[in-house]
Amino acid sequence: MTVVPAQQGGGGGGSSGLYDVLELILDRGLVIDAFVRVSLVGIEILKIDVRVVVASVDTYLRFAEACNRLDLESGPHKNPGLPDLVGEMTESGARGKSKGALSGAAETISGAFKEAREESRPEPRPRARKSTASRRKEEAE
Amino acid sequence: MSTYVYGITAASHPALPDGMDGVGAPARPVRILKEGDLAAVVSDAPEGLRPKRKDLLAHQNVLSEVGAEGVVLPMRFGSVAPDDAAVTGVLAERADHYKERLATLDGKVEYNVKAVHDEEAVLHRVMSENAEIRAMTEANRQAGGGSYEQKLQLGEMVVAAVQAREAEDAAEVHSALESVAAAVSVGPESSGWLANISFLVDRDEAEQFLAAVEQVRAAHPHVDLRINGPLPPYSFVEPGPAEPAGTAIGADTGKE
Repeated sequence: MTVVPAQQGGGGGGSSGLYDVLELILDRGLVIDAFVRVSLVGIEILKIDVRVVVASVDTYLRFAEACNRLDLESGPHKNPGLPDLVGEMTESGARGKSKGALSGAAETISGAFKEAREESRPEPRPRARKSTASRRKEEAE
Repeated sequence: MSTYVYGITAASHPALPDGMDGVGAPARPVRILKEGDLAAVVSDAPEGLRPKRKDLLAHQNVLSEVGAEGVVLPMRFGSVAPDDAAVTGVLAERADHYKERLATLDGKVEYNVKAVHDEEAVLHRVMSENAEIRAMTEANRQAGGGSYEQKLQLGEMVVAAVQAREAEDAAEVHSALESVAAAVSVGPESSGWLANISFLVDRDEAEQFLAAVEQVRAAHPHVDLRINGPLPPYSFVEPGPAEPAGTAIGADTGKE
């Protein structure tokens, strides 16, 4: 039984999926109260890795720019004309959730986790990511 | 000398990983402690154990090895008993509970599914679905990109639409895979994925489950699905919904 991200064809063996299963190893699993758990400074990194879209001025501008560049008539993701499904937008609900996730984040960063994450992602994702600190600042503005 | 515990399995497990490399540097060899019908997979606990990459991997690898040949109750990383006797004491004291869990999870494995949006693809989708966004984008284009306020207005609409899509896609991934799984455990929402869901799957039905995953992929080309498994049943060791460790933290600080 090895941890293989099926999508990527399984190269890299057991370590390739470590980042993706970190929260299972650290947050799930059996806990026995008669045993001690070692201190896990750095576990909070799992909570600040917010990849869902966060409502902020920065995100608005970035998405507006992306829409301007987007060519609906071509490209690999060309979408066959779909009916207008998204009539009502659950803006406030979704936004509240994202903000909660963000503000609930602690900011401890452990070198071990960063390392695990970077090594498990040989191809960095193209999307721009801001640090939590800078996002927070923008939200506060 | 304190004892690091990886997991609990049946004493009759056919391939106990005696001597395998465990946590620590140098790696402490894995030992097996038997008590009645149960066995604990342990090693000596290194001094000053931290959640380092190597140690997390060792924990996961030992459990993967055990789990490949038979059911195991994986411990959360970092569980340390005062000594071997404390471990066998717990096995004896709670034998019925652990045997019941092992019987329930026998032949089953965990698959963890995480989903994020492919940004360009989801923008395509959102624009196709929403005439207002298309019109505003077109207006901004014709105005050479639009004013700051116009950009903000467009961006805010797009973000709201994308967030609505995140919620819908999460629900669709959940319901599509739930039907081919024995149990479902939803991961912490704050972990940054639009969906982070673990499914307990019968080993014999793993193919159907993976086929269902492929169907979800095909039906949602704008969703990037990452699947990990088969894994030891981390999310299903206790009956009922799992309580992730981070829940309390998130609840406290989220109030503001």
